[in-house]
Amino acid sequence: MGTVPFGFVAGVAAVGAGMTPLQGIALSLFAFSGIAQLVVAQLVAVQSPILVTLLAAFVVSLRFLMYSAALSPHLAHLTVRWRVLLTYLMTDQVFGMGVKRYGDPGDRGHRHWHLFGIGITLWAFWQASVLAGAILGAQVPAAWSLDFVVTLSFLVLLVPAVRTRADIAAAVVAGAAALLAAGLPYRLSLVVASLAGIAAGVAVEWRHRR
Amino acid sequence: MNDSLVWLVIVGSGVVTFLTRASFILFADPHKFPHGFRVALAFVPPAVLAAIVIPGLVSPAGGIDFSLANPRWIAGLVAIGVAMRVRNALASILAGMAALWILQALAR
Repeated sequence: MGTVPFGFVAGVAAVGAGMTPLQGIALSLFAFSGIAQLVVAQLVAVQSPILVTLLAAFVVSLRFLMYSAALSPHLAHLTVRWRVLLTYLMTDQVFGMGVKRYGDPGDRGHRHWHLFGIGITLWAFWQASVLAGAILGAQVPAAWSLDFVVTLSFLVLLVPAVRTRADIAAAVVAGAAALLAAGLPYRLSLVVASLAGIAAGVAVEWRHRR
Repeated sequence: MNDSLVWLVIVGSGVVTFLTRASFILFADPHKFPHGFRVALAFVPPAVLAAIVIPGLVSPAGGIDFSLANPRWIAGLVAIGVAMRVRNALASILAGMAALWILQALAR
């Protein structure tokens, strides 16, 4: 996984935005989401209003709604304490690997341990990498282009998420809108592009069904 | 930015990410929501992920750049090609980084 370099980049970004290393690792412990941490760091760096920053964090977290809905029937039998723990640990990778496993036949009783195992492992690697990035800061030469790991980390999630014609429409429209709206302040392009992409996907899906 | 405001943003980000994760696992039954909502939910990952990825490939420095001076979109195509063939995230990421480094070295 790109977890380690991505975490490092997120740690560097937090400190680069003017946060202390303690604040950088605190953001990582609270949010535990690479893209949310990066977007928050970018917006803190340009002193955006709190509500705008949190709106951006919400938009990049919208995909968690879909993961949460897909996982909920599999976790419904667990205690609240287990569900809170797995909720905190749920990331793109945990969802991707966990859902694959839930599709398999066989004993379902211990699968939450499997999710927990993936989640806590990624969590430990992630926090250690963010800490390293926040402390070492920008000592990695810019020529290494380590920040490209962020784009690639989402690219490897995007490719399997695009299966139908409607998915393609959602991705293409969102991508094009993100470029067209790039001039908007406070990374609002992310909000606009995401909504436009979702609308395009729904429109193609409905037309297709009729 | 004022220090206590930064802490507010940090805690607020934790609340926002936790609540979106918790939405259906802890609070709601997705089947009680209208069908249209669930249809829209299915398009969130391709839309949000593309809104993050496409500018990272095509517009790394602001402005749309499909020229050879921007090796990132070519490296991205390499990574997409690998991702479509093998279900291995690490292989795609490594291929994309390797392609970027090679293109950067060639341009020098």
